[in-house]
Amino acid sequence: MLVAFVLVTVLGAAAAAWSSARSASTALVTITQQRLTQDIAGQIAAAAPELTYPPDQDSLDGLRAAVGANTLVTYQNLQSVDGTSTDLVTGALRAAVRAQSRLVTQRITASGQPWLLVGTPIMITEPDGERTPSGIDVYCVRDLADVQQQIDSITWSAVVTAALALPLAMLLALLAAGSVLRPVRKLRDTARRLAAGDLDARSPPRGADELAELTVTINEMAESVQTSMAAMRRMQAEARRFAADVSHELRTPLSTLTAVTEVLATATDGMEADARESAQMAVTETYRLVRLVEDLIEVSRFDAGTAQLRLEDVDVADAVRDCLRARGWVERVDLVTQPEIQLRLDRRRLDVIVANLVGNALRHGEPPVRAHAWADREQVWIEVTDNGPGLPQDVLPHVFDRFYKADTARTRTPGSGLGLAIALENARLHGGDLTAANACGGGARFMLRLPWKPEDA
Amino acid sequence: MKRTWLAALALLLTGCGIQPSGVTDAGQAPTGVVPGVTLYFLGTHNQLRPQLRRTGRLATIPEAVSLLLTGPGPDDSTLHTDIAPSSTAQVIVTTTPGVIQLMVPLTINDVTPLGIDQIVCTALGAYVQGGGPKNTKVQVVFTLTTPESGKLRTCPLIT
Repeated sequence: MLVAFVLVTVLGAAAAAWSSARSASTALVTITQQRLTQDIAGQIAAAAPELTYPPDQDSLDGLRAAVGANTLVTYQNLQSVDGTSTDLVTGALRAAVRAQSRLVTQRITASGQPWLLVGTPIMITEPDGERTPSGIDVYCVRDLADVQQQIDSITWSAVVTAALALPLAMLLALLAAGSVLRPVRKLRDTARRLAAGDLDARSPPRGADELAELTVTINEMAESVQTSMAAMRRMQAEARRFAADVSHELRTPLSTLTAVTEVLATATDGMEADARESAQMAVTETYRLVRLVEDLIEVSRFDAGTAQLRLEDVDVADAVRDCLRARGWVERVDLVTQPEIQLRLDRRRLDVIVANLVGNALRHGEPPVRAHAWADREQVWIEVTDNGPGLPQDVLPHVFDRFYKADTARTRTPGSGLGLAIALENARLHGGDLTAANACGGGARFMLRLPWKPEDA
Repeated sequence: MKRTWLAALALLLTGCGIQPSGVTDAGQAPTGVVPGVTLYFLGTHNQLRPQLRRTGRLATIPEAVSLLLTGPGPDDSTLHTDIAPSSTAQVIVTTTPGVIQLMVPLTINDVTPLGIDQIVCTALGAYVQGGGPKNTKVQVVFTLTTPESGKLRTCPLIT
């Protein structure tokens, strides 16, 4: 950009110098040529009345002497020559003199020097004005070396002037380019900072040109983005706090309710059949409510960033086996593990993840359900697959969304709808990840990835 | 890049020198060479007739008019003049742009209108042969004051 500016300036200066020198030299050549031609025509016109016709050698010599040096006068077989330069007269010039019967000129370069050739016939004018060639032709050769010298000096002065003006022009070009480019660069830096998330970035507008307007516009844009971002964050935070508050507020009455239901559960034996059914339903639903509230509290801990890892050295195979055993799933799940994978992690959270994945597989998929744990150089993998129909393609992107239920018809499932979301958050808390896909032969496949060293441990 | 710059610079410098050109027209060729002077006399039917005197070179207007005043000469008996012979053939000529003023040693009684045409045509013919424009007017001034002296005339043969 800067180079282009300077180049344009330099080219402009050079072109200006060149064209002025060129036009000056053209004008000089034209004027000189006209003067020389008119001189010759005038001398011939002055000498012609003294010329006898038809002319003899003497009168031709007289005419030639009157016209000046380097002149050739011809009449039929006679000719009068002075100077050697008359050899330069070209055939084209002679032909033109004979054909046009007018005064003609030609510029040539011979032995490195410019010459002007002038050729003319002398005309006979009848008293009634009719003109016919007399047969006397005059050719003159004039040296243009003086003009060449003048032109050379003009050219040199133009070159010198241009050379002197060039650094100044380049300096001005640099300054001008800088004054245009500096605000553009500043604006670019501001835009970069905005893109990087620094919404406080602004660039002060200077002057009153289009760039200043652009700067003001960008500042306004940043302002409005910042305002709406702040509003959105506030609303988000409020929504989360509200959920957290609600969960907490629900916990106390729920624990009372749980206690009461437990009493109720022990007393069902003496009830009538439909009353007992209602009481059992109340018990089940209360437990479900308790789990939902616990999940909600867990999620709000993740949102608030207060979830903490309790790291300990864990054998992954043992942990998974314990998880299955605790829930009585050992018989229903094929467990394949690589022995002795010792990993520092939060045992409780790993248990939550595995329980959720295996529970989902048992609930929604078809047996056999397989759990597979292995390790490579960078990380530890735990894979849970089932043999069911798999996850539909439109569901796949949403399986980790909160309260997302794949089967809208089956609204009353034992799950809270938060299980996979919590599992994912737990995996991320360890610096790992949880991904969902479909296995080659159909069936859902969930992959838990845990790094050897949790990043925030 | 460097080569391009050098080429451009060379072009710049050579572009300023004197360039050869083709053959170009530079105006009318000079004139003034004539085999002789043309005098105007009268033929047998009193019409103007040119007579070429082979002087070998261009005559001035006074020379041409002086030759006219001396008459057609004995060679050609078919020509005569309507100008009375005078003792002197001295003529004074003043040429201004557009007008040739002739002072002739004659009175208006020495010439007929045809005689005046003879003088006008001869003077104008010599003027045109020397390169003068054809539309120049001729004023013939006589020795005695007469209104004819003020008239601007043209030659019926040179139009």
